[in-house]
Amino acid sequence: MRRSTKLAGTLGLLCTLLLPSAASPVLYIDINAPGGKRMPIAVASFVVASGDPALSRSVPKVLEGDLALTDLFDLVPEKSHMEAVTPAHFSGTPLSFPAWKVIGAEAVVIGKVDTRGDQVSVEMRLYDATQGTLMAGKRYTGTPRQVRGIAHRFANEIVYAFTGVRGIFGTEIAFTARPGAGKGKGKEIYIVGMDGQELRQVTDNRSFNLFPHWSPDGQWLAYTSYRTGVPVIYLRNVAGGSEKEGVRFGNTKSPGGFSPDGQWLYAAVSQDGNSDIYRVRVVGGTAETVVGGYGLDVSPSPSPDGRGLVFVSDRGGSPQVYVKTLGEANGVRISHGSGYATSPSWSPAGNRIAFTARAEGKFAVFTVAPDGSDLRQVTGAPDGDCEDPSFSPDGRYLVYSYRKRGYSELKIISTDGRQERTLASGLGDMGSPAWSPGR
Amino acid sequence: MKNGLTWKQAVLFFLLAAVLAAGCAKKQTVKSGDVSGETASSATPAPGAEAIGETPVTEAPVPKPGESTVLAARAAEAGVAVTEEKPSRFTDVRFDFDKADLTEEGKRSCQVVAEYMKKNPKARVTVEGHCDERGSAEYNLALGERRAVTVKNYLVSLGVPKGAISTVSFGKERPVDPGHNEEAWAKNRRAHFLLK
Repeated sequence: MRRSTKLAGTLGLLCTLLLPSAASPVLYIDINAPGGKRMPIAVASFVVASGDPALSRSVPKVLEGDLALTDLFDLVPEKSHMEAVTPAHFSGTPLSFPAWKVIGAEAVVIGKVDTRGDQVSVEMRLYDATQGTLMAGKRYTGTPRQVRGIAHRFANEIVYAFTGVRGIFGTEIAFTARPGAGKGKGKEIYIVGMDGQELRQVTDNRSFNLFPHWSPDGQWLAYTSYRTGVPVIYLRNVAGGSEKEGVRFGNTKSPGGFSPDGQWLYAAVSQDGNSDIYRVRVVGGTAETVVGGYGLDVSPSPSPDGRGLVFVSDRGGSPQVYVKTLGEANGVRISHGSGYATSPSWSPAGNRIAFTARAEGKFAVFTVAPDGSDLRQVTGAPDGDCEDPSFSPDGRYLVYSYRKRGYSELKIISTDGRQERTLASGLGDMGSPAWSPGR
Repeated sequence: MKNGLTWKQAVLFFLLAAVLAAGCAKKQTVKSGDVSGETASSATPAPGAEAIGETPVTEAPVPKPGESTVLAARAAEAGVAVTEEKPSRFTDVRFDFDKADLTEEGKRSCQVVAEYMKKNPKARVTVEGHCDERGSAEYNLALGERRAVTVKNYLVSLGVPKGAISTVSFGKERPVDPGHNEEAWAKNRRAHFLLK
């Protein structure tokens, strides 16, 4: 086996030398050119070598659903496909690429599912139908209930192969809502997939559970709960459900973001009626003051390089957004006007800050450069309030809450404002969405 | 995109593919609980080579035990009835929008509470701070706290012992009036007194 691997490596190098054109990276889709050409792609029905025959269509449907969420692809519908994919196509027999090109597909995805007891193996390949070359190929194994997650992972591979930027499929959004279409008195934490599927309730204690924030590894959620009668910040393991107390001092408290290395949790803590911003060691609980002094200081969101912090303070008379360098004093106000600006969220690339501000009597989502220049309004709903923005891990989208009188929902909008969709609705008072890190 | 491999290149290509596929198939291992495997194995295959990388998608890892207080899991979560307003024998103190200052009317409400507390030295009171629905939940939580503490400080200035008063903020989470208009908002910006 060792020999064959080495041989393959040598031949691989040889191949690269012989086929220089295939080795040079090709940028198929420029994601920075909005409204550009879309890539026509076909996702063939999967071969089910063993297991539930329904997987033949259900797995492609997950892939298609993901690809359709971007503005990068045109899906060539299954009913127009001419070639039936067989197991032989996974062991050397080439696809008949002209049969895909003639129906307009410039790329083809094929897949094969193999179920052995409680293990599912899913092999997926992405071909360039014009050149007949393999662009990406992976074999995944997992349990039957992980098949959706497997499909999301390969959808990310597809986006990466075309754009050079990892996709965000399979990421999730944590948020708060009143259960039972808002008839419930309390607020619980929920999680929903970025495709709007797989909604699940995380807390169930009929008190107020607020302000969920993900740790950088996506394993923990920090949030405030009133389940003991007073506000307490918990760190909850998302998969296992175990919890520990995150901040052990002060009165009212709300978590903000984690430091990029996951070692600190930023939080607003009130003592004697004055809210300051602290950072608290996730392990051990040591606390340091980050923003103090007179004024309500809340909603800390650290910069992705860990050196800066954006937060809200009413030190100037009304809540406004400020940026400071950690270790230096005060901070610089970056929101404009005398109104009301809150809920800042720093973009993953570090070049933008999203926040909520009043525009013509309503709340809207804006983005701004960290130095306060280049302000842009992202949401434009004239009839309701758009609040609490949170960036997607690739920085291309914002999730936010939309409210109109008693109605609420969560929406996702591209940062250029061109694309928008409803992520989730049907619960009461939906808010505080937090997008999970990339998967 | 560029068209056209020669047939020689194509043959070599598929030979390579077969070799690489065989090599990879033997390397297949699936480890439960291994998430870090992805980084190692997800290296982009050499373009043109039909190598199928493999990525284990594994079960969620077993949670680490918390450092100290590992609190009960979901099944044991016990909610405390904080979600509904309990009636008070005292009048709520009302506030202006985005303000925590006491109005003359608010001071009179506090004075009634202070008289009662001084006549009943064993009484304990909780001051709840509340806000209207406008603005961020985090900011309103801090504002509600400031309102409650303003009331507490005024009660103390009227002679109520500090230790007899506790405060809690519910921000905008528990409106007493569910409406979405000025009248409802005015009622919801309040400090509410609860005797224990």
